[in-house]
Amino acid sequence: MQIVSFALRNFNRARTRTWITVGAMAFACAIMIFYASLLEGWLAGMEKNAVGMDLGEFQIHGRGYRVDPDLYKIITDEEGMLAQLDGQGFVAAPRLYASGLAAAGNASSGIELRGVDLVREGLVTALNQHVWQGQWLAENDQAGVVVGRKLARILGLAVGDEVVVVAQAADGSTANELFRVRGILKSVSEGVDRSGFLMTAATFRRLMIVPQGVQQIVVKRRQASEDLTRATGRLARLLPCYEVRNWRQLQPVLARLFEMSDISLVIMLLITYAAVGILTLNALLMSVFERIPEFGVMKALGFSPWGLFAMIVVESMLQVTVAVFLALAVGLPLSLYFSHHPIDFSGFVQSSSTIAGIAFDAKWYCVVTVNSVVLPILFLYLVAGLAILYPALKAAMLKPLAAIYHR
Amino acid sequence: MQLGTMAWRTLMRNKRRSVITAFSVGFGILLSVTFTASGDYAYTNMINTSAVMGLGHLSVEHPDYRDTPTLDKRLLEAEAVQQRALQTPGVTGALVRIMGQAMFAGGAKSVGGAFIAIDPAQETPAHNIFLRTLIEGQCFSSGEERGVVVGAKMAEKLNLRLGKKLIFTMTDKNGELVSELGRVSGIFRTGDDSVDGAVVLLPLGLVRKALGYEPMAASLVAIFLEDHRAAKTIQGKLVHLWAQSKEITVLTWQESQADLAGLIAVDRLFNYLLQFLVGLVIAAGIMNTLLMSVMERQREFGIMMALGMMPGQVVRLVLLESCWLALLGLALGVVITTPWFLYMARIGLDFSGQIGTDYSAGGVLVDPVMKFRLYRESAMWIAGAMFSLTIVAGIFPAFKAGRMTPVENLKQG
Amino acid sequence: MNRASFSACVFLALLVVGGGIFGLTGTAASAPSPPSLDEQEARAILLEIDDLWRATSSQGTVRMEVKTANYTRTMRMEIWSKGKEKSLVRIISPLKEKDTASLKTGNTMYTYLPKTDRTIRLTSSMMMSSWMGSHFTNDDLVKESRLAEDYEPRISFKGKREGREVIEFTLLPRQDAAVVWGRIVMSVTAQGHLPLLATYYDEDNVLARTIYFSEVKNMGGRLLPALLKVVPTDKPGEYTELVYETMRFDLDLPESLFSLLELRRR
Repeated sequence: MQIVSFALRNFNRARTRTWITVGAMAFACAIMIFYASLLEGWLAGMEKNAVGMDLGEFQIHGRGYRVDPDLYKIITDEEGMLAQLDGQGFVAAPRLYASGLAAAGNASSGIELRGVDLVREGLVTALNQHVWQGQWLAENDQAGVVVGRKLARILGLAVGDEVVVVAQAADGSTANELFRVRGILKSVSEGVDRSGFLMTAATFRRLMIVPQGVQQIVVKRRQASEDLTRATGRLARLLPCYEVRNWRQLQPVLARLFEMSDISLVIMLLITYAAVGILTLNALLMSVFERIPEFGVMKALGFSPWGLFAMIVVESMLQVTVAVFLALAVGLPLSLYFSHHPIDFSGFVQSSSTIAGIAFDAKWYCVVTVNSVVLPILFLYLVAGLAILYPALKAAMLKPLAAIYHR
Repeated sequence: MQLGTMAWRTLMRNKRRSVITAFSVGFGILLSVTFTASGDYAYTNMINTSAVMGLGHLSVEHPDYRDTPTLDKRLLEAEAVQQRALQTPGVTGALVRIMGQAMFAGGAKSVGGAFIAIDPAQETPAHNIFLRTLIEGQCFSSGEERGVVVGAKMAEKLNLRLGKKLIFTMTDKNGELVSELGRVSGIFRTGDDSVDGAVVLLPLGLVRKALGYEPMAASLVAIFLEDHRAAKTIQGKLVHLWAQSKEITVLTWQESQADLAGLIAVDRLFNYLLQFLVGLVIAAGIMNTLLMSVMERQREFGIMMALGMMPGQVVRLVLLESCWLALLGLALGVVITTPWFLYMARIGLDFSGQIGTDYSAGGVLVDPVMKFRLYRESAMWIAGAMFSLTIVAGIFPAFKAGRMTPVENLKQG
Repeated sequence: MNRASFSACVFLALLVVGGGIFGLTGTAASAPSPPSLDEQEARAILLEIDDLWRATSSQGTVRMEVKTANYTRTMRMEIWSKGKEKSLVRIISPLKEKDTASLKTGNTMYTYLPKTDRTIRLTSSMMMSSWMGSHFTNDDLVKESRLAEDYEPRISFKGKREGREVIEFTLLPRQDAAVVWGRIVMSVTAQGHLPLLATYYDEDNVLARTIYFSEVKNMGGRLLPALLKVVPTDKPGEYTELVYETMRFDLDLPESLFSLLELRRR
């Protein structure tokens, strides 16, 4: 108890010095918390952006559809499957696909028609939030379509323009209908930009004469913490008659890029930890070494080596603890602020950015996780512990006289 | 006595502290080099990879080609453009190409895709990723007027093998449909299915004839540079060359591949942000040291001032200390960074083991090796930034030292 | 829509071009090398057939029945043709697609869609799409008239087969012809030179599709097979059947019939 009260008293005594040390550590720790949250946000954001915009975490197709897509390779019992997925911790949305041709004025271009379930799609992807001009699809506007950005440019389409679709319907007849552009998407992915032609599922079914079944079901984990591979396995077992693919399998290049990016960021994180470690080490080393003469006096007054050692440790840990609270008080609100107000870099970027054909937003959110807060703190304690070990031992072992004249 | 010498002596009085602080400056340099150099390497790699996918670092094309790349928009004097470009310093290659959309059929199946028509006599694997990634056969020679090189994925879809027929249909300069026959002379695999399933290399002569192009015409001249950073400068020179022609425009890779430029810009900004945060930590560390040292030497400053030193001189003394510290830090930084940098620049860290078992899926487009490359200006920038950071960190302690009056100082301690 | 592609087909000679079944006339000059004796003989007979089938113009009605794994449909359409280059098809039934029309002039094809009142020009991305849901692609229609330029015919068999005297021609694509087939084999009766069978092989010599001709009857003053059945090999059970209901030849059709303006008129 005496040690603690000594430590406390010391803490208060050389106030400037203590606060400089505490301030430096607190600052480092706060930056670390912010930094780690930013990294978490970057890692999560890249995946969320790329996967959550349109690709989805998993896609389910009828057998053979992916190799050779056609209107007839369908998932027949989509209602049942959706209900089943809902019950198994997944969120799912059905999609209908067909290829066709869109024409406006003298221009025409091949398109990929997509029928969207307006209620469910929004639960799985954020496509509805990526409208560049105009509006997203609406159930009460059956003639309104949303088209990809490059497609709109190729066909010279603006919001409100008419566009004709020609395709071969499921019964072999020539489907053709006049639509009105309701919205133009932001950059989503190379495929959607160039040929995406979205309509409500009901319109698609009527146009293409597909009364039932869907070509694709796009799925998301309800718990993002579930391991992707495990969830893929679970889905595959759940739906043995269909092809289940996760986004890493669907977009291997993107997955590779993310993995490379993850690895290099982890290396950066380690190096940054090291920098913080050196700072802490430096601050504590100085504050202990400088007081060795003082410790010499204490020893001369009858302090046992271990008592002195314990006092130095307790005192330092006390400083670290104060620093941690300060760091939390600064770093946490900062990180939380940026988790709601993203850092927006889109102003620096001419157009949208894409990785391996998948677009992503130039915005960063911090993501505050247990790891991003606890790891920097633990690290600070660890480094502090190591940092004072040597000077504290030295102070404890030194003869009083040598300590007093120690420089 | 000179203030500079005095500052140095002060630093040397507490060697341990000074070395630790200088070490943190040095460490900052190591860190900054790691961040910047891995970025510089990765960006250079991405830019060069994307350049060899068809458009080059600079592309000379018809002004409307970028917005609506139909085959009626062409450069009439592509060969002349190529010759002029090759004479420009900094240009390592200039290739005449026709790029466009086509329908490809083989056997009873067909797929839509994109073609790059090339002159086999001029193309080299260095400027063409598809020739670099051939897995079967070879590029058609100048003599083979109907050779084609297809991606592995398309070959699979259309059931193509070496020597097999590939029929391609495109819209010519007048908007008419034209079909031609090619025979597979090579198959490439980049590892990206969307590329391997869609891109076909065709002979320039055959495509020119099919499209009804003039003998010198092409849709673009892809220009390759020694250093992609020179793109803007060389673009300026080339634009000047063809200033009188309305039919020619020169685009840098940033303009022709805005997506990539955007990605790099965003990544670089994030990188800078992280570096800035780390810089703050290091600056805090330096300030911590200097502040400590100033606090401790209050008495000393009191005596100095009592002996007639002006407060301004005291401030300068402390600033000079941080200056020495910065120089010491830079020297230390060079010492600890050089081996790490050399290792990373020459060998690098290979992560192909870590990123999944099937590394081939990422193919040549994703480099599994983390390597360093540092542009000279980046290195200067780092050195400058670390130096200024140290000086800036010294400002507050310096003024703190200068603000005190001799009497206050003498009372303290 | 990812239908198999079949190029250069006899069906179109009948349906779209009307006359000139094999379209082999007057184009030998474009061949790079002088034809061999064998080729000359084959060409002579095919020319004769061509003459028989050829008309300055034609008009008729056709019933098309398509059976695929996914649908069965029947359409009736009216066809017109003039010379080798111009042809027009207009759908009579079913009601849903009535007045949908295809116009082909030379290498260009237009489709008129009455429901949306639009005329769409064929682009390369639609080339391999099915024509009206049948086993033919748009490519088949466009390439049909190039048959003579693309293939070298020779007689590969003469004699009795299944109790009938027949002549069999083998058409091999010219060296650089932009066609996917490895060869086309056609059989006609020795007497009257009526077509019986056409088989299409891919480059690996695998049979891709067969066209059967039957039900010879007099139409518009000419003896012609009135039933034509296309069977793709890789899709068992599927076929496209064409029944010629009426045919008239050598009519005085106005040029304006084959114009974009006329295409839209009902």
